Amino acid sequence: MAAIPKEKPSRIDELRAEFARYKADVKERGKPFYPYAMFHDTIMSLVVVCTIIGLAVIWKWSAWGPDHDPLHKGLLGAEVAAPADPGTTSFVPRPDWYFYFLFYLLRIFKWPESVFLGTVGVPTIALMLLIGLPFLDRRRARRPSARPVAMVAAVLTIVSMAVLTWKGATAKEALASEVKQNIPRWIKDEQLPPAARPGVQLFATAGCTACHTYDGAGGANLGAPDLTDIGTRNLGIDFQIKHLQCPSCVNPGSPMPPFASLGDERLKQLAIFLEASKGTH
Amino acid sequence: MATTYRRKPTKAEIRRQRMEELVTYPLDWLEERSGLIGGVRYFLFRNVPADINWMQTLGSAALTAFLVQAITGVILAMYYVPSAATDPHTGNPVAWESIVHITDDLTLGWLVRGMHRWGASVFIILMFLHMGRVFLFGAYKYPRELNWIVGVLILVMGMMEGFTGYLLPWDQTAYWATVVGINLNGTAPFLGPWLAQFLRGGQEIGGETLTRFYSLHMLVIPGAIIGLITLHLYLVIRLGVTSPPWSKEAAGMEPEEEEPARLRPGLTRPVPRPSGASAMQAEPGGQE
Repeated sequence: MAAIPKEKPSRIDELRAEFARYKADVKERGKPFYPYAMFHDTIMSLVVVCTIIGLAVIWKWSAWGPDHDPLHKGLLGAEVAAPADPGTTSFVPRPDWYFYFLFYLLRIFKWPESVFLGTVGVPTIALMLLIGLPFLDRRRARRPSARPVAMVAAVLTIVSMAVLTWKGATAKEALASEVKQNIPRWIKDEQLPPAARPGVQLFATAGCTACHTYDGAGGANLGAPDLTDIGTRNLGIDFQIKHLQCPSCVNPGSPMPPFASLGDERLKQLAIFLEASKGTH
Repeated sequence: MATTYRRKPTKAEIRRQRMEELVTYPLDWLEERSGLIGGVRYFLFRNVPADINWMQTLGSAALTAFLVQAITGVILAMYYVPSAATDPHTGNPVAWESIVHITDDLTLGWLVRGMHRWGASVFIILMFLHMGRVFLFGAYKYPRELNWIVGVLILVMGMMEGFTGYLLPWDQTAYWATVVGINLNGTAPFLGPWLAQFLRGGQEIGGETLTRFYSLHMLVIPGAIIGLITLHLYLVIRLGVTSPPWSKEAAGMEPEEEEPARLRPGLTRPVPRPSGASAMQAEPGGQE
């Protein structure tokens, strides 16, 4: 009798057969979860709890120990920072470490042309790829040596996340006390009129330089535009004040926080300074 | 059987039997009405592959970190006050003061808050490591695709816990990180501005934002995480854990290919005889 050529089993048949084999193997020569696997899990859980307690102890006793001051920075940071104050914006925004990679993406994709890519675009695509992984990689192979593409992609992902996190962690911050030292140079470089003097003081101390650069000073951590020659755009004092009060009202989608809490008087001073900034000569 | 003779049990035997019933009766009662005892027994005594290794404890380690967060979080919620109002005596925000009070005045308050604060990072790290292990083992493949997705959702929820919890101490770090965070949400098309408005609870970040984040942080997101973890564990128990793919006796591995043996007839495979002799009679050593 002539042998009927066997049809090649379909992919899903192969997968089902493999899983059936897995279940039979586990039933036949597996070992019970309790006590074997549970023993390992318990040890690991104890290590986790001890690590957490250890971190808490190091944090508390290196911060509080020396001079009983909750604001003192120990090995793992202070117990708490100064109370939140919406009025003073001289603080450099910094997220928790696992958001540093997002934070740094904002320096790569600059406001306003491509900030959307940094805040939403890239993270959304990355998340979609992560969720869709089982459907993108449909091969049966499980051994790392048989999955070169997946392994290279994973290494590249880990390296880029690590680099972005590291860059975010070490990004230069513009502290108000350091920024203030630039004021005489700014006045000279930009030939600021006396009317702009109160504004320049405010600009250096109100936190603007946490996101904006100006004449070579300040930090671009969040990719905000350089303001060295913002005055050449002749936006007008009124526009500047309105924009500072509520950036997203006049500039839909702007990620800049509102500075209405500074008060009308100081907003006007800032606006005069910004309009007087015609670039370095 | 009626004919079987039984001696009368002694008093000690009756007492022993009563004691046993005291334990078994409630268990049987519960089992009969819920099947939970059988479920727990299945969970504990189900077989897992014999070659699982230490990397496969990362999932339960992340679960432990989550439980630490849940327990310390409940304790913190007893003392924390989510109010941005100013304390008239000190001039400091009430929420910030309650955090300082927990950390510096309460007995072991520093330990509970410290464990919650650092446990958050440990939880995130363990989830990433666990994900890396699953990737390395190719354990997201059939039939465990759905569990991979559930796991990614737990990771996203965990990071949202980090974002919402970061604001609660109501200090400068918290406040300004959240200002920027919410403004970044606002840059998303369509939903962005609406989402930013919802998170802030108004035009500016203030007391309403704080209570909103508190509610999300301790009710909404943890509830979602608990639900997702339950589903995750159900799928793990239903589908089983994978063997390390490089293991010599990995469960479900295909039987060795016979191809190489055919290249060396007479060594490992009986040589087919041209005459009617059956393969069963062939000597393993071959005679060519």
